[in-house]
Amino acid sequence: MPRTKITIDYSKCGDGVGIDPRDCGKCLNVCDLAVLICHETLGVPQDPIDPQTWRVSALWWDLCSRCMKCVEACPQRAISVTWHGFARPVR
Amino acid sequence: MNAKLYSNELARELDLERYLAEQWRFFETLYIRKFMGGLVSSAGLGYKLSLPIIGKVLRHEVENMIHSESKNRNPIRADGHFGQVVPLEDAKLIFANLAVEPIIENYCMCRAMQKGVKEVCCFNFGLLSGIIEKLPRFIPKNTKFRLDREEAIARLEQHNRSGKVATVWFQPVPYINAICSCETPQCGGLRLTNDFGLKVVYKGEYLIRLDLDNCQGCKLCVPMCQFGALRYSPTLKRVLVDDTKCFGCGLCRHACNFDALHLVPREEAPGLKGHY
Repeated sequence: MPRTKITIDYSKCGDGVGIDPRDCGKCLNVCDLAVLICHETLGVPQDPIDPQTWRVSALWWDLCSRCMKCVEACPQRAISVTWHGFARPVR
Repeated sequence: MNAKLYSNELARELDLERYLAEQWRFFETLYIRKFMGGLVSSAGLGYKLSLPIIGKVLRHEVENMIHSESKNRNPIRADGHFGQVVPLEDAKLIFANLAVEPIIENYCMCRAMQKGVKEVCCFNFGLLSGIIEKLPRFIPKNTKFRLDREEAIARLEQHNRSGKVATVWFQPVPYINAICSCETPQCGGLRLTNDFGLKVVYKGEYLIRLDLDNCQGCKLCVPMCQFGALRYSPTLKRVLVDDTKCFGCGLCRHACNFDALHLVPREEAPGLKGHY
């Protein structure tokens, strides 16, 4: 079963560059299967107000249908979706 | 319906204040935390659960976590946090008689995390409401969030008729302190239940019954169902109900103009009795 690899470049979006994904949320909104999740990062001092500690992760990547809508929707071009083998949905 | 499960006395007896404060403070990190001794996170959970042997062990562990009643439950993993679908009538009864005031209505965290949308539709009551009030990111601005019983019922009815499933939650078992208006797939509970077959949201105590004489085949009820239990049959010119998928939430009734859909107790279908 080919596994989908969803990579998010944190040098373009999220805690790395201080873009608060909660303000943008375009990728979250466009994903009908709700694969992506916006969350606080671990391992840093927890401060719910600080935008530096929030990022988007592809949590449920196994449910991804590879529709590529998030790739197109991201204004930062931070998301890439790749897989090996046959291009068929995982589920 | 047991009033004791809603009471502040029970919460105090189990010393839940610290648990709930921790759980809600770290709510958004729930899914990315590692469990089973730092081995596994929830990322790609469906894939992990489908693995042979490892998947079975993992499923057993996760189910144990969800239903944990042990003394040293971990709040940041939300141990012992599961719920059940309730129809509008029962949810109203809970608000009218059982829920302990103060009742608050706050932002749904699942929707904010998974869809980037802040929507006010989760009701919390009892000990929990005081804890959430201290966390500003859950509290809606410019709208009234402290509700009395009538207001809570009115708001819940509004959510329910708009197509959101009412669910009542243990947090943690056996203390009940929340009624959510859930929507698949962005609801954390329904995601784990529908997509991975974990018992996070139990089916309701009811099943939907279609009155064959009344159904006109208008199909308006079909899009109301979040569980894929309804389908329109062009041959029979009426709606088909898949009882095995029905959660008994009763949302489809709100769309029916011909009084063709009714809830009946789950016991009336012997094959589905006890299947939650």
